[in-house]
Amino acid sequence: MNFEWTEGHRAFRQKAKDLLAEHLPADWAAQTRYDQGSIYAANFSRKFCPILAREGMLLPHWPREFGGSGMDPFYHWILGEEMAAVGEPRSYQYMYCNWVGPAIMAYGTEAQKQAHLPRMTTGNVIWCQGFSEPSAGSDLAALSTRAERTANGYVINGSKIWTSGASVADFCFLLARTGDKRNSGISVFLLPMDTKGIDVRVIKTFMGATAFHEVFLTDVEVPESARLGEENRGWQIVRHVMYNERIGAPRYMLTLNALDHAVALLKAKNRFGDDMTRMRAGRARGALNAARTLCHQVIGERVKGRPPGPLTNVARYAVVMADRHVAEFIGDYLHEELVTNDDPLIAAAYRRTGSTGFAAGAAEIQLNLISRDLLQLPREG
Amino acid sequence: MDFDLTEDQRALLTAVERLVERHGGAPAGADSYILSGAELERDLEDGGYYDVARGQDADGAVGAALLVEAVARSPRAAEVGASALVAPKLAPTLSLPRPIILAATPLDGAVRFLGSRGTAVIDTGTDVRVLDLSTCRTAAVDTPFAYPFGRFVDLDLKNAPVLADVAPDLMRQWWRVALAAEIGAVAQVALDMTVDYVKARRQFNRPIGSFQAIQHRLSECATMIHGTRILARRAAWTGDGADAAFAAAHAKETAAKVHYDTHQFHGAMGVTLEHPLHFWSYRLKCLQGEMGGYMAHAKEAADAFWP
Ligand SMILES: Cc1cc2nc3c(=O)[nH]c(=O)nc-3n(C[C@H](O)[C@H](O)[C@H](O)COP(=O)(O)OP(=O)(O)OC[C@H]3O[C@@H](n4cnc5c(N)ncnc54)[C@H](O)[C@@H]3O)c2cc1C
Repeated sequence: MNFEWTEGHRAFRQKAKDLLAEHLPADWAAQTRYDQGSIYAANFSRKFCPILAREGMLLPHWPREFGGSGMDPFYHWILGEEMAAVGEPRSYQYMYCNWVGPAIMAYGTEAQKQAHLPRMTTGNVIWCQGFSEPSAGSDLAALSTRAERTANGYVINGSKIWTSGASVADFCFLLARTGDKRNSGISVFLLPMDTKGIDVRVIKTFMGATAFHEVFLTDVEVPESARLGEENRGWQIVRHVMYNERIGAPRYMLTLNALDHAVALLKAKNRFGDDMTRMRAGRARGALNAARTLCHQVIGERVKGRPPGPLTNVARYAVVMADRHVAEFIGDYLHEELVTNDDPLIAAAYRRTGSTGFAAGAAEIQLNLISRDLLQLPREG
Repeated sequence: MDFDLTEDQRALLTAVERLVERHGGAPAGADSYILSGAELERDLEDGGYYDVARGQDADGAVGAALLVEAVARSPRAAEVGASALVAPKLAPTLSLPRPIILAATPLDGAVRFLGSRGTAVIDTGTDVRVLDLSTCRTAAVDTPFAYPFGRFVDLDLKNAPVLADVAPDLMRQWWRVALAAEIGAVAQVALDMTVDYVKARRQFNRPIGSFQAIQHRLSECATMIHGTRILARRAAWTGDGADAAFAAAHAKETAAKVHYDTHQFHGAMGVTLEHPLHFWSYRLKCLQGEMGGYMAHAKEAADAFWP
């Protein structure tokens, strides 16, 4: 066992920090309030990601043949940690880096690879994820958006909900029903967002002004070449490319940053003196350390080329527990700062930790998977 | 970062596991909930296993943590954490007679493993002293826990030698790592045993382990145990005081949850001496509070991490 980063990893992290120090605008926090879904962040990503690309830091773990740097998955994770720590200046461009690109590499035709991957390597394209629907959240396979065969492709009808970044996205990685069988009747479509028949509406939330959207699809025509992989094999594709994503992006870094910042604030205001406050802060930091180290262990498995396993769900649930400790700490001890709402980092972490338990899949679903795959407990019923 | 064991660590673990196995599993039906680990300890000592951490290097410390885990998985109450992790870190050149007992002043309470043999390493608040237990008078104490306990009847602490250049903080640090490693392993066995039980026990025409209410709590236990085990090993590796306190805080919170939930899902069977759960759960209950509960360690962690 070895809990130290290699020199290469350390240098890479430093370079990421240096690039942020150099390029992140002085008013970043005030403008974005650490909301990666803000228009400001999305626009900034179109300037910042090309810089990362020039420095060979946009797609560190992608194979060289697709424009990546061919580095081990720890580099990708370190990049994610540093970006998440400051509120994700890549905005939603992290998604193609993490899984949309790899899905196209694994399942795309030559033409699809040519159409999409080079564009990603420039750092100027935003993808959104069209999975959830009003009646298909945790039970994603219940989705009902339909893609009907036509003479030269498909026509898609239905609606998506909670779609992050839809109003700034160029493409959508869309799941739609092409058959009646639950899991084996779903296909993936690579859908340009300027296709006729797509109507995007912002949903007002307390997560950020443009965080979420509804996407209505009315007679949206796409050629057959927009389908990724075989017809009705979408579920397998999603399972494959998304498994590692269950631990999500390293969002715990914003939480960790906020907790350290909260402690500094409390100290400066002489409110960190009593044992109970310190105990609660220590407990939250310990839970974060556990969650972060477990995530590193998951990435370590990837580095060794091993198939993903239930440790992923364990790590993800650990993140949920840690975020909850931090949220409760902020709620209990930084009430004044929350009320005055003049500290963007505290406010953002507080908001964000309010959705860790269900964004990117509900915590209880993780517990179901741990029960099934790790503990091998019998199914209910 | 590399989360795989080194070849040496793997070999060590295999050897210790074999040795532990030779001493047998939990007996069917017991008349006491303390199963003596004295013979197992003797074999560990003869094999030189307690010296794994003596090299002062990080690999050795992780090796010692693995040793603590492997021994703690057995149903026996064997003294391992103090001998394998604490003593070698505090006194790398001394060979203190075993068992090693860890205690802090005032010495008026019951102490785990305290008896008439071995050495007590004592945190006096200002220094760390070693006391030859053959010079003291002790008495056994009956406790609700699955470890043997004793108390001092007569001792001469003033004349006990001070460990030069060892701050009490260092002792507390490695004590915490040892506790966290032990809790991670004991909790894992209690969980495994409970998972087996809820798969086999049927009520309402189905295994009780198929109920989501039970599954989720056991999965939470599994998550906390994973966290505890990795934090303990990490604290052994880094040799950092804050890491040790974070590991202990997390471990103690885990101990509290795991012993409660594992008993809960065994129902009445879990409180019998016939069922072996108590060999682990009544050690967990003890480890939960040694050196203070999770709050105390979380506060210490905060003090060390945000000085
Ligand atoms: C910040 C954020 C960003 C998101 N971005 C996107 C996006 O870009 N694209 C996209 O497609 N979706 C996105 N989502 C949606 C997200 O994937 C869903 O919220 C998630 O899958 C849960 O679905 P739901 O909200 O419909 O909750 P539901 O499925 O209605 O579940 C509600 C609650 O019920 C409980 N529950 C549900 N099923 C079970 C079960 N089997 N066992 C026990 N308890 C259960 C859980 O506590 C769950 O939280 C986003 C969500 C958030 C919060």
